[in-house]
Amino acid sequence: MERLLPQSEREEGVFEVTIDAADVTISKEVLYRALGYSDNRIDPHFKDIVDHVLAGIHDLCAVRAGYRVLDAHVKADRGEGLVVGRTFITTGCTIAGQLKNAEKAALFLCTIGPGMEAWSRRLFREGDPVRGHFVDTAASLAAEKAAAVLHDHIGLVMAGGGLKVTNRFSPGYCGWPVADQRRLFSFFPENFCGISLTESALMVPVKSVSGMIGIGAHAMRENYSCERCSRKECTASRAYKNSAPT
Amino acid sequence: MNELVETIGRCVERGKINKASPFPGDMKGLDGADELTHQALEAGTDAEAILQACIAAMVRIGEKFGRNEVFVPEMLMAAKAMKAVTEHLKPFFQSGSVQAKGTFIIGTVAGDLHDIGKNLVSMFVEGNGWNVVDLGVDVKPEKFIDAIRKQPKCVVGLSALLTTTIVSMSKTVQEIRALFPSINIVVGGAPLTMEIAKEMGANGYARDPQGAVRWLAAIREAS
Repeated sequence: MERLLPQSEREEGVFEVTIDAADVTISKEVLYRALGYSDNRIDPHFKDIVDHVLAGIHDLCAVRAGYRVLDAHVKADRGEGLVVGRTFITTGCTIAGQLKNAEKAALFLCTIGPGMEAWSRRLFREGDPVRGHFVDTAASLAAEKAAAVLHDHIGLVMAGGGLKVTNRFSPGYCGWPVADQRRLFSFFPENFCGISLTESALMVPVKSVSGMIGIGAHAMRENYSCERCSRKECTASRAYKNSAPT
Repeated sequence: MNELVETIGRCVERGKINKASPFPGDMKGLDGADELTHQALEAGTDAEAILQACIAAMVRIGEKFGRNEVFVPEMLMAAKAMKAVTEHLKPFFQSGSVQAKGTFIIGTVAGDLHDIGKNLVSMFVEGNGWNVVDLGVDVKPEKFIDAIRKQPKCVVGLSALLTTTIVSMSKTVQEIRALFPSINIVVGGAPLTMEIAKEMGANGYARDPQGAVRWLAAIREAS
C-alpha cells in the first residue's frame, strides 16, 4: 500500500528515506513465479526452501534508499536523453520518449544491503546451489520491491505539490547504458546509502537499484513496455509482471 | 543397458541425489544416484557405462530446460545428483579407465562480480563429463592465462553480466588469443549476442548452460 515514509535531508536536496525490511517482504507466489513456477507446479521440497528463504529476508535485508529532485527537460534537438540539472543524461530514445512531459526528475538509489548476497554466495560455496539460487532470486525481487516502495513514496511527496510521476527507469535497461551509472551517482554524496560503484560501474552491494523517475503536471505512470527493451529476461520485468493486477 | 544403470540415469535426470534427499517428491525415501552408483560398482558394472548413462540424462534435462518444462532449480538438482555419481567414479577417472571429455576453464571477467550464471554453466558442463576449473569472479586476463598454461588443451568460457564488462571480456579474449591463437573460447552472459561474441574474437556464444554444453560437444566432434 502506498504511504508516505519518514525521510531526512542528508545535504541540500538529497533525501534519505526510511524503508523497513518489512516493506520489502515478497510473497511466496511472487517468488515461485520468478523462479519459473506457477503455484501448483512447484515440488514440496522447493516450497520448503522458499519458506526458509523468505523467513530470512527480514533479518538480512538492511534497506537504505534516497533520492534527489532536479529540474529536467528533454531537449528537442537531442532526443536520445534529457538534461537533468545542468547535466545531459544519455538515457536513449525509449526512456527520453517516456519522460517527454517531465519538468523535473527524481534520481534515486536504493539497496537491500550485502546480507542476502553474502548468504547466497555462502550457500553456493557450501554446495547448496539450489538454496543459493533461491536466495539470489529473492534478493533481486526484494531490491526491486525497495525501488517500488521508494517510487511510491516519491509519487506521494510530489502529489503534495500537485505533480505526478512517471515509471522508473534504470541504467542497463531500455537502452540506457550501464556506464551512465557514474553520471547518475555524481548527483549524490559519496557512498550515499552505503552504495558505491566499481570501475566497471557495478553497484556494490550488488542487490541495489538506481534510476530516474520523471515528474510533472502531465507525467504519467504507464504499464511497463518490456517488449521495447532488448533484455528479454530480467528480474525487473518478472517483478513488473508479478505485480501486475490479474 | 542394465536396469540399474538406467535407474541411475533416471535419478540424475530427476535430480534424486540420495535416499535422504526429499526431492523429487515422488521419489522420496527411494535410493538415489549416490546409493545406486555404489551398488552398481559393487556389482561390477562398467564405470564408463554409468558415466555415459548419466551424461545422456544431463542432456535430457537440458533439453527439458530448453523447452521450459523444467527450470533452474531442477537443473541444479540434476547437476548435484550427477556430482554424487562422479564422486564414485573419481577412482576410475584417476586410473584412466574413464576419461573426461576435456578441461573447461571458466570465470567471470575482471570488473564483474556476478557468478550465478557462471556457476550454473560450470556445474552443467561438469555434469556433462568435462573436468571444470572454475576461476571465480572478477578474473583478470593473467589468471586465465596462468590456468591455460597448466592445461594448454583446455577450452575457455568467459562470463559477464554487465554491458560495461564486455570491454573487459573483449580484452581478455584478445590477451588469451595473443598467446594461444588456436584455443577455443566460448562467451556468455546477458549483454552478449552471437554478433558481439564474433566481433570480440570468441569462437562461440552460449545463451544458457545447455547452449554451452551443445557448443562444447560440437567442437569436440569437430576436433
